[in-house]
Amino acid sequence: MFAKLKKKIAEETAVSQKPGGTTRIPRSVSKESVASMGADSGDDFASDGSSSREDLSSQLLRRNEQIRKLEARLSDYAEQVRNLQKIKEKLEIALEKHQDSSMRKFQEQNETFQANRAKMAEELALALARKDQEWSEKMDQLEKEKRFLTAQLQEVKNQSLNLFQKRDEMDELEGFQQQELSKVKHMLLKKEESLGKMEQELEAQTRELSRTQKELMTSNQMSSDLRQKLEELQRHCSALEEQRDLVTASKTGMENKVTALEQKEQELQAFIQQLSIDLQKVTAETQEKEKLVTHFQEKVASLEKRLEQNLSGEEQAQELLKEKTIAEQNLEETRRQLSVARSSQAEAVDILETRVKELEQSLQASEEKLMQSRAIAATQEAQIQELATANQESSRAQQQCREHVHALEAQLAALETARAADQLAAERQVRELEQENAVLKENKNECEHSLHHHQLELKKLKEEWSQREAVSVTVAQALEEARKQREEFQQQAANLTSIVDEKEQSLQEKAAEILQKEQEIFQLKKGHEAALLQAHQLQSELEALRSLRAEESEAAAGRQDRLRLPGQEPGLALLVSEPHPHVTLRAMQDPAYQLSPAEGIPNGEVGGMDLGQLQKEKQDLEQQLLEKNKTIKQMQQRMLELKKTLQKELKIKPDSELFEVREKPGPEMPNLTPSVTNHTDLPDAREVNFEYLKHVVLKFMSCRESEAFHLIKAVSVLLNFSHEEENMLKETLEYKMSWFGSKPAPKGSIRPSISSPRTPWS
Amino acid sequence: MGGFFSSIFSSLFGTREMRILILGLDGAGKTTILYRLQVGEVVTTIPTIGFNVETVTYKNLKFQVWDLGGQTSIRPYWRCYYSNTDAVIYVVDSCDRDRIGISKSELVAMLEEEELRKAILVVFANKQDMEQAMTPSEMANALGLPALKDRKWQIFKTSATKGTGLDEAMEWLVETLKSRQ
Repeated sequence: MFAKLKKKIAEETAVSQKPGGTTRIPRSVSKESVASMGADSGDDFASDGSSSREDLSSQLLRRNEQIRKLEARLSDYAEQVRNLQKIKEKLEIALEKHQDSSMRKFQEQNETFQANRAKMAEELALALARKDQEWSEKMDQLEKEKRFLTAQLQEVKNQSLNLFQKRDEMDELEGFQQQELSKVKHMLLKKEESLGKMEQELEAQTRELSRTQKELMTSNQMSSDLRQKLEELQRHCSALEEQRDLVTASKTGMENKVTALEQKEQELQAFIQQLSIDLQKVTAETQEKEKLVTHFQEKVASLEKRLEQNLSGEEQAQELLKEKTIAEQNLEETRRQLSVARSSQAEAVDILETRVKELEQSLQASEEKLMQSRAIAATQEAQIQELATANQESSRAQQQCREHVHALEAQLAALETARAADQLAAERQVRELEQENAVLKENKNECEHSLHHHQLELKKLKEEWSQREAVSVTVAQALEEARKQREEFQQQAANLTSIVDEKEQSLQEKAAEILQKEQEIFQLKKGHEAALLQAHQLQSELEALRSLRAEESEAAAGRQDRLRLPGQEPGLALLVSEPHPHVTLRAMQDPAYQLSPAEGIPNGEVGGMDLGQLQKEKQDLEQQLLEKNKTIKQMQQRMLELKKTLQKELKIKPDSELFEVREKPGPEMPNLTPSVTNHTDLPDAREVNFEYLKHVVLKFMSCRESEAFHLIKAVSVLLNFSHEEENMLKETLEYKMSWFGSKPAPKGSIRPSISSPRTPWS
Repeated sequence: MGGFFSSIFSSLFGTREMRILILGLDGAGKTTILYRLQVGEVVTTIPTIGFNVETVTYKNLKFQVWDLGGQTSIRPYWRCYYSNTDAVIYVVDSCDRDRIGISKSELVAMLEEEELRKAILVVFANKQDMEQAMTPSEMANALGLPALKDRKWQIFKTSATKGTGLDEAMEWLVETLKSRQ
């Protein structure tokens, strides 16, 4: 609708501007030409007096021509005026129409708006009334509820009072129970203490027992050691006895041998004696034999002597010699035998003597041995005796040990019996204590049961209480919510009333604006009237002009009659135009209308502008209206939302935080890439000096700090460092070189976020 | 603060290193002189792109000797090293008569620097072992040394490869630095 209106208005403005634009140019032209004509005529008039008659005629002719021309022009003007009048009419019609339409539209809009407003107000009033009614109903309900709730609350309070009483009772009961419990606990503690003491005693006794057991163990060990020793000693003793037996056996053997040897000796001595006897016999024999031999030799000698005497008797002698030799041979043989026997006997005697000697030696040795063995035996016997004594001692010790062990065992038995007795006593005590404990526990359990029961009761009561509290809380909440609702509703009502007020205000403003518009229209009308007045003036001027022209024409007619006819023609034309004074007026009004721009502001344009302004204002108002509508809609939406949220809140408490969570846009990453474009001013140098730069930077990083300090400038020149950066480098190096001082804060282009250096304090 | 302490320290012990720049056109023998002064040997060098810095002790005086590359492209960076310089050893190739003008202009430009206003100038007319070498006086005139004002300067004829003249020059430098302190 508004679009259409706008379009219409635009078209109209275009239409209204077009004719103005088109008419202006010729009009201005005509005005100029008129002016020029006037000037020309002025000149002509000035030269009029001094000219001759011919000249006058020619002048007249010229005047006539001029007049004709002027008439033609006048007719043109008239036509133009007519056209302009027409246009003006049209425009007026259009304007009227437009005004009418705009007025109508305004009125319609106003009406509609008022109707809407009235409707809205009515609706709102209705809604408010309804809501009021509802609210009042609700309030009634709520009050009822409140009354009910207060009643409930009172009940609850009574209940809670009862509960408190009960609780007090419970507390008393609990106190009693606790007292009892504490008594029981005290008893229990005492019992436990006595039990602990008993246990301690028991422990001490068990410790003693263990100690005695240990002693027993040690004594047992000792006894076993002693037994072992005894066994060893017995073994040793047996070994020694065996040795003794052996020794005695050897002794007997030796003695036997000795006896045998003595017998042998005796035998040998007997033999020797025999042999000596034999030898004596043999010696005797030998002596006999020798005597025999000497006898025989005497015999032989006698025989020989006989033989020498008895030569005849050689045979006999020979035989005798033979016999002699034989006898000698026999003798020699016997001698030989004797010597052999003697040597053999001597040998045998020697042998026997050596044997005797050997035997004697062996005897001596054996005697020595025997002596030794005897000594050994004696020592052994002594040892044996010692061992026996030791054995006896050991046995005594064993006996002692055994006695000790017996004593210990007796002690142990006694201790064990004591312990058993203690244990029994302790067990008995423990049993008693346990029984007591059990009794106490039962008591305690009973107490606990009762306590539990009480607690359960308490819990139940508490639960009841809490339920009631919850109920009361819910009731309170409901009340609060109701209150809130009421408040919200009130707020809504207030909002609505405020909105209504705003609407009314806007309406008033609109009305005021409309009034302004009307005033403007009135002013426009005034302007119109003024324009009409101007037109009248112009008409009067025109008439004056006409009269002037008539005078002129009369003057001209006074000079030449010929001129009258054409002079009358414009008058006729004017007369023709006179039946339409309104038209002419309009036609004149238009030029006046149009002439006024020469003076200042064109009235038509003013009107157009006013119209435009009006339209603009209208548009603005429409826009405002639209905005207001929008705001109303938004308000309604909000109201709906609020209602929804209220309903939601009535149902459940939504966590409102969810809506508040807004993701902040991530902070823009500061552009950290420093611009290196500064080097572009000496690219060739950079290329050439890259190696130099490399070398310098390398040295700068590797050399001593004192050297590096001198390199700062080179590095900063090569790398186009700013003064700040260079200073920063210097400070850093100084800091590095010194033992003190603080590390200088990096500034300048290190932080691209800080573009300008900090202003110093001083 | 650190600088203050270090200055106190150095003033107490007198161990402040003298800062000496060795400058001159490329191929004048700066690096050879530096290492001749430092280790006393002739080392084979390559054109210095950048600089060499060594600590040279001469007569209980410590020198921080900076040998800056003399190639045309990196000559403009000499001025980065001028601050706190006690002496400048300007090495000139005595045989390079063609570039003596360039050498002079570089020297003049260098001496005009404010930072080197108090620096002592020692000119080494190097490569004196060569046959067609310029004499020191010739060199001094060619470099416009007699026209220098407010400047302690001395010219020495040296041969870095032979090691001649360096001791005298250093002696003079040490004495001058000591007397100036």
